[in-house]
Amino acid sequence: MTEHSGFNRAQMVVLYVVLTASIASGIAIFSSASTITAMLHTASDGLFLPILLSLIVAFLLDPAIQFFEQKKINRTGSIFIVYLLLSILIFSLLLIIGPPNWKGMLQALKADFPRYIGHAIDYLNSLLDAVQQHLPFVKHYDLSEKLRASAEAFFGLILMHTPKSAMRIGSLFLLVPLFSFFFLRDSRRILRGLIAFTPNRYFEMVLDIYDHVSWQLAHFIRGRILEALIIGLVVWMGLSLTDIHYAPILGAIAGITNLVPYIGPIVGMIPGLTIALADLGMGGQFWWILCVYLLIAQVILDNFILIPILISRVSNLHPLLVILAIVMGGKLYGIIGMIIGVPIASIINIIILEIRQYRQTFSPYMRIISKRE
Amino acid sequence: MNPFWSNIFRSSGYEETLAYFLGTVPVFSKLNKRELSFLETIVYVRNYQADEIIFAEGDIGSGMYAVRTGQVKIYTHDEHGNEIEQAVLETGDFFGEVALTASRPRIASARTTETTVLVGLFRADMLDVVRKHPSIAAKILLGLTRIISDRLHQSHLLLHEALRQQMTTDREHSHD
Repeated sequence: MTEHSGFNRAQMVVLYVVLTASIASGIAIFSSASTITAMLHTASDGLFLPILLSLIVAFLLDPAIQFFEQKKINRTGSIFIVYLLLSILIFSLLLIIGPPNWKGMLQALKADFPRYIGHAIDYLNSLLDAVQQHLPFVKHYDLSEKLRASAEAFFGLILMHTPKSAMRIGSLFLLVPLFSFFFLRDSRRILRGLIAFTPNRYFEMVLDIYDHVSWQLAHFIRGRILEALIIGLVVWMGLSLTDIHYAPILGAIAGITNLVPYIGPIVGMIPGLTIALADLGMGGQFWWILCVYLLIAQVILDNFILIPILISRVSNLHPLLVILAIVMGGKLYGIIGMIIGVPIASIINIIILEIRQYRQTFSPYMRIISKRE
Repeated sequence: MNPFWSNIFRSSGYEETLAYFLGTVPVFSKLNKRELSFLETIVYVRNYQADEIIFAEGDIGSGMYAVRTGQVKIYTHDEHGNEIEQAVLETGDFFGEVALTASRPRIASARTTETTVLVGLFRADMLDVVRKHPSIAAKILLGLTRIISDRLHQSHLLLHEALRQQMTTDREHSHD
């Protein structure tokens, strides 16, 4: 029988052992797969923010480095020069203006925070009362309790994470320059290596499309970051003209939330308006602050100046897609996911548009060729 | 000589490198050693099996290839779909250079006939060189222009010759 099956006894034993071992190791790998992903998750947990920040820094510094490269300095040297210039700039800014008093500001915010929340709740309650007067069927909703509870939870979270985030900020100062240095120096080589994996038949097409997409992407990402920076700065300056507290923090919030279209600017406006109402009342300063947020930052600066200059060529996403991206990003990564969800959706959109345009541009040629044949 | 020994004693120096090979391609003949080693970093080395299509007639071209080792057949199709061989290229020859300046459909197909290593320079990288290292780009583009104008000159002469022959045959016919 063993002759018929083509195996002798020793071979059968080896086969048996090999099969058993492979099944056993398969089960072991399967059972440890969840452990491995959990480990990977833990290991990469703190790396998401530094990598994101260093990519942003790399995108912003790239034009400056290209400028020095054109002066016949090699890339590594140019990166060092740009780093040196940047650190001199930051250092001299710190010397002239002095380090911002973040700690005092945070402490004051901790004291003021409950007051602002209380004010917001009072305002919402009065609004609810007004609604109930006109539409009596609206059920009485215990808004104040719910809002207070969630605000306290949020506040406790901030308190708990402050020492931790101080550590994290310290590590960011170390990691971000290091990561962005390597991104700047080697990104070309890494991407070339990846493209070289393309099969021969599609290589030219992939290279061409990659070239278009990467140009558009760099343009888009740089534009978005610059837009957020400028909006943040303008809001900061506009608010510092009034007596409002926390103008730098409010400016930063306005800049970051501006990355999310449609919804972002409105959300970014809420803390500023709340603080203004609580501290300054419904006076002229409040209208000026509203004017800074809406008219100056959004309408004049963003719509008429920044978007046409910085992001002109990139077509916008459909509002429905924007909302989908925000919801999905929020489900995946929380608040950070909400902010970066829309840019990532736009990036996917750019890639699809570029590929379609590439095919459309050359379809006339294809028709001529096919007619000739 | 026994190839075993010849391998040991041959200097495996500069002449084995990609930069040296690129220097032998006419398009890059005016580049010096340093520029050639820069060129080395922007070209792609692609390995092909025998009988692999490199590009087909009507594809959108995006760059030129030089044959490092192996053999490439350039061919077109007639109206019945049969292949008409246009050229067979060997080590040191180059093709597809017109696509380096603008994306146009390929006017012929290219296929390897044996295991082949090609060195490709593509428009995306070329544009990058134009931006960052204009002097190198100028040398490459001058070399390209020289070759294309040589070819134009040659085809002009051929056309001229063909026209003259046509006219003489016409004249003979009219005499008859």
